[in-house]
Amino acid sequence: MTEFIDGPLWYFALAVFLSGVVWRMFSIFRAGSKPDLSVPRRSAAVSAVMTSLRRFVPRHEMSPRIRLQLVAGYMFHLGLFALLLFAAPHVLFLQEHLLGFGWTPMPHWAFIVTSQIAFAGLLLLWLHRVLNPVTRLISDADDHVAAVLTFVVMLTGCLALMETFTGLRVLHRFTVELLMIYFPFSRLMHAFTFIPSRAYTGAWYGRRGVDA
Amino acid sequence: MNNNKRSLTAHQDDFFSVVKALLVIVLLLSIAPQALAAGDAEPAAKVVNPGAELWREVRQREAPVAGTTQVAGMDSGVLINIRGEQWRTFRMQQLIPAAGALLGGVLGIIVLFHLIKRGLRLELGRSGNYLLRFKEIDRVLHWFVATIFIFLALTGLILLTGRVVLIPMVGHDVFSVIASASKEGHNLFGPLFLLGVIGLFIRFVSKNFPGKGDIGWLLKAGGMFGGKHPSAGFFNAGEKIWFWLVIFIGLTLSATGLILEFPFFGQDRLIIELSLVLHGVGAVLLVAGLFGHIYMGTAGMEASLESMTSGYVDANWARQHHDQWAEACEAEGAVIAGEELAKKQRLRGTKNRVPDRPAAEEGQ
Ligand code: HEM
Repeated sequence: MTEFIDGPLWYFALAVFLSGVVWRMFSIFRAGSKPDLSVPRRSAAVSAVMTSLRRFVPRHEMSPRIRLQLVAGYMFHLGLFALLLFAAPHVLFLQEHLLGFGWTPMPHWAFIVTSQIAFAGLLLLWLHRVLNPVTRLISDADDHVAAVLTFVVMLTGCLALMETFTGLRVLHRFTVELLMIYFPFSRLMHAFTFIPSRAYTGAWYGRRGVDA
Repeated sequence: MNNNKRSLTAHQDDFFSVVKALLVIVLLLSIAPQALAAGDAEPAAKVVNPGAELWREVRQREAPVAGTTQVAGMDSGVLINIRGEQWRTFRMQQLIPAAGALLGGVLGIIVLFHLIKRGLRLELGRSGNYLLRFKEIDRVLHWFVATIFIFLALTGLILLTGRVVLIPMVGHDVFSVIASASKEGHNLFGPLFLLGVIGLFIRFVSKNFPGKGDIGWLLKAGGMFGGKHPSAGFFNAGEKIWFWLVIFIGLTLSATGLILEFPFFGQDRLIIELSLVLHGVGAVLLVAGLFGHIYMGTAGMEASLESMTSGYVDANWARQHHDQWAEACEAEGAVIAGEELAKKQRLRGTKNRVPDRPAAEEGQ
């Protein structure tokens, strides 16, 4: 079982993840957009960049209503990426199995604090999703599966923190592989689409002189 | 590289062996004059085996005696700490059986009570009108604390009772994996619980001070055993007691937990041992209280869970269980008709699914 998870299943998950993401991105870009014959009011490229950046902060009128999502959203996403890229076992894994080079990982205490921040953020976001009538209504199974899978991946990672038991490490790896297989077919794809989609909206409206 | 590591550890081992040997010698030397003096007093009356005497001193059965040592560190002058054994005995012979009896007993009483009374029903049925009881922020906070506490309770109980309950079931190998995972998870989520308890305190304290009707409510045991339902405000006396238990025991658990998790701020062994006792006893008490709280929030009281899910409660529920609060809401005109609420929240009557969001726009 351990060999299967460390070997064939890992390569299968990696293949599904990479080919799925490439295929999804390719199909989005291939869809293109209709030619816009209007006289441009502003540069589409500049608006694309501006909107991509502006969306990192909520609109002034919206801020008080979405404070929880904003704070919890940043807690979770920044925490997750810090863990993904700077947790010592991850750096080692990337160096040994994928990249051939590594970088300075975060110290153990920083790992603990970062995972606490990320866990709190994810939990708060999911609770907001189910307890707010509007977000509950627009959420479907995909949203919940993605949240739960991500939570389980993070949890199994933290439970394996002592790095003493192969069973725990393999359990973490298994959940990561499940997530990678699920990823391209779900809204988790927003990790790759969020910048192009912001840019598209920005360019589309910017060309017409509208602040998006 | 590995060889270097290995030889470094070997050096460290050697070093510690020498330190330990020195420590024993220092202790023996400090004890020797007393042993000799004792020997002078009663020369031939009783032949005391000097080895046994020495060993008794080393074991320090009465209380730990600190010897002198060059090794810097908390308690490094103590050879064998007898209190560790006292804690072990307390844990195995008192705490674990008492925890089992308390938790099992509370569960048994709840099941029995439910079988006999079937929980508290809505006496007048539903009115179809609603009152807002908890804002979204309060509900998010409540479930945040609940999720974390239940995770901590599970992992904590595994660590507390694993030797007695789980090892006979799953064996040592599997248990060592479960215990390691539980320990890591428990340590990781502990500090988040503290933040949650502080949040609960800030959001709910104003409604949990003793008030009109609390004594009467307690004397009638909340109307559990029949009779007219006692009067209550926003929270009844039972809920207020639960709130203060969560705050006081929760803070105690957090403080002792932090002492145990970060044992390098000068806390000595006595403080750590005291923390262990408080942590264990407090946790078991709060879990027992939680059984009652969960029962009252679900099967024990019809329609009460809605207050923590949708945030709204039926006006009849409010009148039955929190009459003073219901009257105040009615006087303020805060009652919301069912249709109005449905329109406002689209909670009911909306069968049509919302069309899928466009693939673009970042899953907002
Ligand atoms: C599955 C588990 C739980 C359920 C079903 C549950 C259910 C509820 C419900 C329905 C209420 C609202 C009562 C009302 O409207 O008056 C409530 C309030 C509350 N709950 Fe929970 N709860 C759970 C776990 C927890 C945990 C683990 C804690 C803390 C450790 C907790 C602390 C509180 C507090 C402090 C209140 C407010 C009551 C007050 O301030 O007196 N709950 N819970």
